[in-house]
Amino acid sequence: MIISVSWKNVWRNKKRSLIVICAVLLGTIAGVFTSGLMKGWVQQRIDSVIYTEMSHLKIHHSDYLLNEEMKYTVPQPEKIEKYLETNPEVKAFSRRIKIMTMANTSRGNTGLKLNGINLEEEKAVSDVWKKIVPGGGTYLSKDTRNPIVISSKTAEQLRIKNYKINTEVIDSLARLDVPDPTIEKLKSIEDIRFKTNKLFKKELGKLLTKKEIKEYGKAIVDASVHYRLRNKIVFTFTDAHGKMVYQTFRVCGIFKTQNTMFDQMNAFVLRDDIASLAGFSDTDYHEIALITSDDIDIDELKTTIKADYPELSVHTWKDLAPDAAMMSEFMGIWYAMIMGIILFALAFGIINTMLMAILERVKELGMLMAIGMNKKRVFSMIMYETVFLTLVGAVAGMGIGALLIVITGHTGLDFSSVSEGLEAIGYSAIIFPEIDAGFFFLVTLLVVLTGILASIIPARKALKLNPVEAIRTE
Amino acid sequence: MSVIEIKNLVKIYNGSAVQVTAVNGVDLTIEEGEFTAIVGPSGSGKTTLLNMIGGLDSPTSGTIVVDNTDLSTLNKKQLVDYRLHNIGFVFQAYNLIPVLTAKENVSFIMELQGTKKDILTQRTKNILENVGLGDRLNSRPNQLSGGQQQRVAVARALASKPKFVIADEPTANLDSKSTENLLDIMEELNRKENITFIFSTHDQRVVKKARRVIVLEDGKIVKDERRK
Repeated sequence: MIISVSWKNVWRNKKRSLIVICAVLLGTIAGVFTSGLMKGWVQQRIDSVIYTEMSHLKIHHSDYLLNEEMKYTVPQPEKIEKYLETNPEVKAFSRRIKIMTMANTSRGNTGLKLNGINLEEEKAVSDVWKKIVPGGGTYLSKDTRNPIVISSKTAEQLRIKNYKINTEVIDSLARLDVPDPTIEKLKSIEDIRFKTNKLFKKELGKLLTKKEIKEYGKAIVDASVHYRLRNKIVFTFTDAHGKMVYQTFRVCGIFKTQNTMFDQMNAFVLRDDIASLAGFSDTDYHEIALITSDDIDIDELKTTIKADYPELSVHTWKDLAPDAAMMSEFMGIWYAMIMGIILFALAFGIINTMLMAILERVKELGMLMAIGMNKKRVFSMIMYETVFLTLVGAVAGMGIGALLIVITGHTGLDFSSVSEGLEAIGYSAIIFPEIDAGFFFLVTLLVVLTGILASIIPARKALKLNPVEAIRTE
Repeated sequence: MSVIEIKNLVKIYNGSAVQVTAVNGVDLTIEEGEFTAIVGPSGSGKTTLLNMIGGLDSPTSGTIVVDNTDLSTLNKKQLVDYRLHNIGFVFQAYNLIPVLTAKENVSFIMELQGTKKDILTQRTKNILENVGLGDRLNSRPNQLSGGQQQRVAVARALASKPKFVIADEPTANLDSKSTENLLDIMEELNRKENITFIFSTHDQRVVKKARRVIVLEDGKIVKDERRK
């Protein structure tokens, strides 16, 4: 009965209650959506760390990570490989040779880490093969001689990426609904090749208005990229015995992950194309990267492997990308903090509304106390009322927030305008917000808690009333 | 059998400048089934006396014994319980809960008492029928006239099966027709069900109906008249 009276009391002054409910609603939407955005953002980073860059666990010679020296290959590889093959917790593993090289083309040079991989093994562990950019050729295959996959960023550094407007580009831009007058302007630079992004953008800046650049600039730049596939790159490095060697590879594919740093560092070649030249035998590897089955405690697996193979160093992705690990661990606290701050701010509005409600009802409260409603019941009545007031907005807010997350989780939110900054620190520019049920449990808990806390001041005010005086108030 | 026994009751209010003696040595016994009006000019101490009988205010000295319980021995919490189980209140301004229907206003107090649902529903209906509101069970206070609201208030006061009903100027806000109607209902309840009523009033219509009239002046009983 007291609960039902409280619920009815919420709707006594509809306008006032609705204002507070709207505030709670908007606050909750903001909190839920921000949390979803952050979770999506961090989850994408973690997925990228695990499935593109790091894998779950990496095994090296115990000294390898200190200086990444060529001679530190995994000792007794057959033993550990056999162990990994038979361990049901290990889903897949990939063995890699890693060589620091200097890459040269006729136009540019850069330092690169060559990853010598076995095609099928690598595809099961890292999804770089899925990250080939449009117009960027194909991933490694055994059909071509000495193929190499480099990143779009590296292609730019080696100047094997250029920008050109041609008929194909014009056709594709027309399909993207770029208006004819803009396309007409672009025709004046048709078939002219621009060597860098900067030069091309500068030219576009001269041709187009600011508004056109803002609206279509990115699409035009993206469509105009051309890679010089089959271009030769010469790699210089010291082999396992300290001798300088050279090897030529031909670009077969260009990849782009969400982490510019990773892209800048890594290139992929077939192990067989480089192993013998670098002076390694068939069983020599620098690194074994592995993906575990779902729901495995990777720290436990790490400890097990380390105990059985003390001569190896074993690292989880959390060890190797501590920033992402920290984000993942602190996610729960982040949510609670965001929601906590929002609800704390809202609590003041709620307290104010409830105080007004109490002041309006002094006479009635006096009557209730007079006829025999005890303090505990008066307190509960006001507390329930406050909790309801908070909960209505919060439940609606959670619903709308969740809906927004589901929608944007499908479409993704494009932060391309700041993408260079985000990708430089390894975070994707397109964020797919996501959320889990536990979060809603947390929010509900926080909301109820806020309601209870916000009810204390108004309830105390009510309890201090003297029934005799309260009844006489007009 | 006496329901209320009051001995040498004194209430002094300590104002900032002056001391006000609101009730000054009242001795009074109320018998079961009495229909009593306490009358007197403003400031004579009627309401103070009723508040003390109702356990809402505590005396400066003297005792109030209700059904062998000395109210001065009860703490605040026990007093709330005492009011809930022993006294029905009717106020001048009806004081119903605006968000509840007539039916809910009446059953609310029984819920506070912990009455079982089926008994409560039946009793609520009976009582509201007794006060002539059998057809307005689901009306909210703002859909009822002043007289009807005060009848709901009477029904609420009776719902808790109190030992007596205290009504502080119950007719002050009512027109004469409603007043008469309300008084008839209360009188009938008094006669049929032997319910003890104590009113404070200025209203001559109430005084006329009362079977015992106590006149207060300056906190003292100056006249105590029983009628047939």
